[in-house]
Amino acid sequence: MELLKVSNITKVYNTGKGMRQFKALNGVSFDVHEGEFVAIMGPSGSGKTTLLNILATLDKPTCGEVLLDGHSFNRVKDSESARFRREHLGFVFQDFNLLDSFNLKDNILLPLVLSRMDVNEMERRLSPIAKMLGIEELLTKFPYEVSGGEKQRAAVARAIITDPRILLADEPTGALDSKSSKRLLDNFARLNSQGKTILMVTHSAFAASYASRVLFIRDGGIFSQIYRAEESNAAFFDRIVSNLSVLSEGGNGLV
Amino acid sequence: MFNAFYAKLALANIRRDKRTYVPHIIATAVISGVYLLIAGLMFSYGLANLTSGKTTQAMFSFGMVVFSIFAFFFMLYVNNFLIGRRKREFGLYAVLGLEKRHVGRVLRWENLFTLGLGLILGIVCALIFGQLAFWILLKLIDCADGSRFVIGARAYAMTLVFFGGIFIVTSVYNTLRVRIANPMELIRAPKKGEKDSKLLWPLAILGVIMLAGAYYMAWRIDNSAVALGMFFPLVIVVIIATYIVMEYGSIAFLRAVKANKRIYYRPSSFIAISGMIQRMRQNARSLATICILSTMLVVTVSGTLSLYAGREEMLHEFNPHDVELSIHFVDKDNGYPLPDKAEQERIMGDIEQLLINSAAKHGVKISKERFVAGYDDSQYYDAAIDMPEVDQRTGLAIMEDFYDALDAYHDAYNRGSACCLVRGSKDIYNERALNYAMYGGLLFLGVFFGMLFLAVTVLIIYFKQISEGYDDKAQFDILQKVGMDDRQVKATINSQVLWVFFIPLGMTLLHMLFASKIMSCMLGTFQLNDYALILRCIGATCAAFMLLYLIVYKLTARVYYKIVRW
Repeated sequence: MELLKVSNITKVYNTGKGMRQFKALNGVSFDVHEGEFVAIMGPSGSGKTTLLNILATLDKPTCGEVLLDGHSFNRVKDSESARFRREHLGFVFQDFNLLDSFNLKDNILLPLVLSRMDVNEMERRLSPIAKMLGIEELLTKFPYEVSGGEKQRAAVARAIITDPRILLADEPTGALDSKSSKRLLDNFARLNSQGKTILMVTHSAFAASYASRVLFIRDGGIFSQIYRAEESNAAFFDRIVSNLSVLSEGGNGLV
Repeated sequence: MFNAFYAKLALANIRRDKRTYVPHIIATAVISGVYLLIAGLMFSYGLANLTSGKTTQAMFSFGMVVFSIFAFFFMLYVNNFLIGRRKREFGLYAVLGLEKRHVGRVLRWENLFTLGLGLILGIVCALIFGQLAFWILLKLIDCADGSRFVIGARAYAMTLVFFGGIFIVTSVYNTLRVRIANPMELIRAPKKGEKDSKLLWPLAILGVIMLAGAYYMAWRIDNSAVALGMFFPLVIVVIIATYIVMEYGSIAFLRAVKANKRIYYRPSSFIAISGMIQRMRQNARSLATICILSTMLVVTVSGTLSLYAGREEMLHEFNPHDVELSIHFVDKDNGYPLPDKAEQERIMGDIEQLLINSAAKHGVKISKERFVAGYDDSQYYDAAIDMPEVDQRTGLAIMEDFYDALDAYHDAYNRGSACCLVRGSKDIYNERALNYAMYGGLLFLGVFFGMLFLAVTVLIIYFKQISEGYDDKAQFDILQKVGMDDRQVKATINSQVLWVFFIPLGMTLLHMLFASKIMSCMLGTFQLNDYALILRCIGATCAAFMLLYLIVYKLTARVYYKIVRW
């Protein structure tokens, strides 16, 4: 059964004084199955971020519906959306979004504290995650004392410590150098192999080549999608790149 | 041609960053307006011509010196504070290819525009409110004289020179400051976090001990001579202790709470404690400054207010009777005997008669029987009289006549005598005029000083709110994304803002509580011994200050929420 079902989502923004309408998303539908690692690719302005914000319940679609485990997002009340987010979804952002005033440990524990979990239980959960992500030594450091890659791994730890149904990542490698990117993506692959469902929005074909499926969107709609066959990352990467070139030329009616 | 470019850039900066410049200009206007007014009053002929105007003016020239020193350092401090916040912007200029000397030139223009505009506004305000201030001053020093107040050319010249000096000093400082830094450092500056000092705990304890020690000393003092000697050392200790306690004590305390996992890892305290540590790190110094300035303000205003409120009491302390007559004899040459007792009594009788005559001229009847005689060495008079039916104005008139008659009597006596008769009489009416001139003038100065302190305090509070607004906006976004609902976020941030805002106020009130004792001892040297009156004055000043502080909070909070956009 599909874990996440996105059906026919449209998002319209009213921009400017003349209330000109801008369609950021136009009838997007797709499913994500449990244990999948899906990458969403598209050029700037294609609606990627809008889509992710809707999946994150940070924004509401103008029409259409998102179902998680068969439950509609529309039924989540505004006052409960923060809690819903905390308990069911995990986020990784391009700019980390760590709080400067907390050390890494407290940043990671933040969602658990908000859920009023017992301290001992929190620490029990933290140690295997920190170990897997290789940040045990850094837990008492503050965000400004560690590198970008380390910050992003801490952000991943924060996202998965609540054991969310799905991990949403918005350009997670966007601010990282290639070495840190690779390390982060290896961590994603490992999480995925342990059964975690991941949905990642990215610009980078290299990042997308870690996924099991890549959705290409353009101008607010799904343009195409490709599945990973029994092939290496490198081979999948080549297919993604050729699809991207089609995507960028697509406007000329080549598809 | 090129200069016009820098001036334009400076103007654009000012227009773009109104939130910063408008308050700065207003503060400059307040300070320069008050400065011009005090200078104007100091040189004013209208005041000099008044009976007791000379006393007030002498005090104003002293006040002017102190005010200049304070105003100078405050303007420097505010400039420093503002430049410190713009490191990032300067870094950006450097990256964009503006040379440091160019940035310096832009800064000089900005400085010129803000100071110039503030000065013009200040002068306009001084012109508008000058007459009102003069009228209030006349009321305070109890002069009904209707003389007009005109700010003289000398006062303008003095103000221009003073603010010109401030312009030069701040410009040189800013240029140096931009010149020293390198661009990358400048850009990175604001994000740099600070680690806790290894000396956190020792310093925190030292601060608390210093403060407690100073409080204890201030509380135990019960002798005005000691109070006078100890006041300034204690003030210095309290100022240093305030900075240390704010900067290290607060963080040490929060760390101690944080170390308790059961308390710390709860939603209500988790974010609040870390947030407060962050805030105290960034703001401890400005909070301590706010606290010191507020304390200075309350001490100055309540001190001068106490003296003003207790002026009649002090007057009676020094003058037990309305008129005290006394005669002293000095040998003209050696060897001549002093007049005997009978002769002295005869002279006293003549003098009493002179007073009766003078009073009669103004329609006041007094009889010989009402005079009381001084009988032992503790009295400083030989005869005294109380005239409760005489008001201040009549009293002054009577005394003027009396002193004229007395002088004539003395001259006549001394011409025909071997020893010299010295005038030693005094009266409450002239003393009262002098007292009112002095304490009224002091209160006037005290309030103006209060305005100076207030202008700087408000400015610091305002800028603190703005910079926190920008920081909090980012924090707010992150907390929301991580799963805190916005009501919770608002509540925690609100409470932090409140805490940070009211810590200096609380500390000010605490300082005042312990200062009240030493203050009353010091006021004792003026023979003001009414502790209850002094406490009432301190209480009233504190209440008025708290009210003002709250208004400032409400106003700045609006700017804050506009930035955070809730």
